[in-house]
Amino acid sequence: MFQKYWLSVLLLIIACLSDATADQLVNTVAKSGSGTTSTVPASNTSSSDFQPNFQISGFGSLGVLHSTQTAGDYVLDSSLPSGAGRSSDWETNNFSRLAVQLNSYFTPHISGQFQVITAYESNGTFQPDVEWLNLKYTFNQNAYIRVGRIGLPTFFDSGNHDVGYSYPWAHPPSELYYLLPIQSSDGVDALYRFGIGETRNSVKLTYGQNTFSSPIINSTAKDLWGVFDTIEYGDASIHVSYQERNASFQNNLTGTNSPGREFNDISLGVNYDPGNWFVTSEWVQSRTSYLANAMYAGIGIRINKFTPYLIRSQHTPGSYSSGSTPSSFDLRLANRSQSTNSIGARWDFKKNFDLKLQYDQVNLSDNSNGFLINVPANQTLYGSTFSVFSAVVDFIF
Amino acid sequence: MTLPGGIKLVLMLALAMSASVAHGEVVVIVSSKSSITSLTPEQTSRIFLGKDDKFPNDEFATPIDQPEGDAIRDEFYSKVAHKNPSQMDAYWSKLIFTGEGRLSKLAKGSKEVVKLIANDPNAIGYIDKRDLKKNVRVVLTP
Repeated sequence: MFQKYWLSVLLLIIACLSDATADQLVNTVAKSGSGTTSTVPASNTSSSDFQPNFQISGFGSLGVLHSTQTAGDYVLDSSLPSGAGRSSDWETNNFSRLAVQLNSYFTPHISGQFQVITAYESNGTFQPDVEWLNLKYTFNQNAYIRVGRIGLPTFFDSGNHDVGYSYPWAHPPSELYYLLPIQSSDGVDALYRFGIGETRNSVKLTYGQNTFSSPIINSTAKDLWGVFDTIEYGDASIHVSYQERNASFQNNLTGTNSPGREFNDISLGVNYDPGNWFVTSEWVQSRTSYLANAMYAGIGIRINKFTPYLIRSQHTPGSYSSGSTPSSFDLRLANRSQSTNSIGARWDFKKNFDLKLQYDQVNLSDNSNGFLINVPANQTLYGSTFSVFSAVVDFIF
Repeated sequence: MTLPGGIKLVLMLALAMSASVAHGEVVVIVSSKSSITSLTPEQTSRIFLGKDDKFPNDEFATPIDQPEGDAIRDEFYSKVAHKNPSQMDAYWSKLIFTGEGRLSKLAKGSKEVVKLIANDPNAIGYIDKRDLKKNVRVVLTP
């Protein structure tokens, strides 16, 4: 409890300071008067111009979540221990987060990213965690390699899904993000960008591993590798990804272990944003002995400082791949199908701040409790429909 | 019919004043030493959004921004990138917090932009048309 109050106070202080430090966001290194120091790591910068520098920035959110389904908890992330509905009427943990990032530019080619985030976690606390910590070697603006803890760009917003300010919706569409395979990799990645005519293509390769622990489950993913491609043409972009890993699990409640197995995921996303309106859609298929699919389609318009939007998202019934024996892990993913219709609006009421209100109508499939957690054993909510309300303020500094 | 002298003077003053408070036009410029003669809004947008680091002729491009909150900056991004200031902030926030951000050069005001660009054949910036000088060239009027 104390941690939550401390976080709220900290968020308020940060919010007040954000005005004063607003300029830092665009990473300016202007000195007064004439002449500025460029630290763009490009071959056209002479080394004598460069001075090492460091930039602090950050982001956060504070909001409430409410669900009319009181037999279980609606959560924004499937690893969280509680949410809105059964445990809490107007729940604030799911939306509370604060992160601080340090960008270090050591040489024209070497830079580092260090981001610490405090947010509601699987163990029920707000303990700060290192979200990203990596070193980057930039060959030029079109190619780099990084080593350390790196994000996996599975979806358009998977790397920035905690940065509410960076996307229009109150929270990334739940059905899709419940299937987000792995958020980060401890390893290496490399990016290469090139263009053909007016088309721009960026390809990223990653290799690493990931460990995750929570009171319910520990997982270790090894040989985690992926290829992620984004093609941009004018106001349109297409994103495709493929990743695989060998993952083993330990169930802390039952003590059972699942030995290492191959998982792979493919995703596809399209986005068209000419400025005063946008449409975006993504799809993921999670594949192991059980195949699961999730997708969403969202559309919005921008009118002055308002961005009203609609989203349709769904996790469709999966299937077992032939010839395989379902494991207990598979059974956790099976019978989770649900769909959501959402309407909401974002209001950019002040520089570096936004307020979002969103209404979700969640429909559970006939044999599914969806992704509700803390549902009493043997209680089935199959086929039910309930409402979720979100109100959240996001900010950056 | 001729107007009394006093009225003519008032009218001329009124015209002069309205001209001086008329909204200036934003233009995109490079150094007159650059070999670029024109750019499309799309090409300009990609350079300022960090998607391209070179001009179409394969020479390096260094974008120069004006400070956040300045009307000329908002007008430039609105016309060229179709993004308002909040959208620009959201765009950069996504890149910065996923480790893909970049630093930019900043100049305070059109006159300083002109000074920086005049001497750098790789630089590109946006200024109020009224601040044009002979040592820079307009490549786009969005």
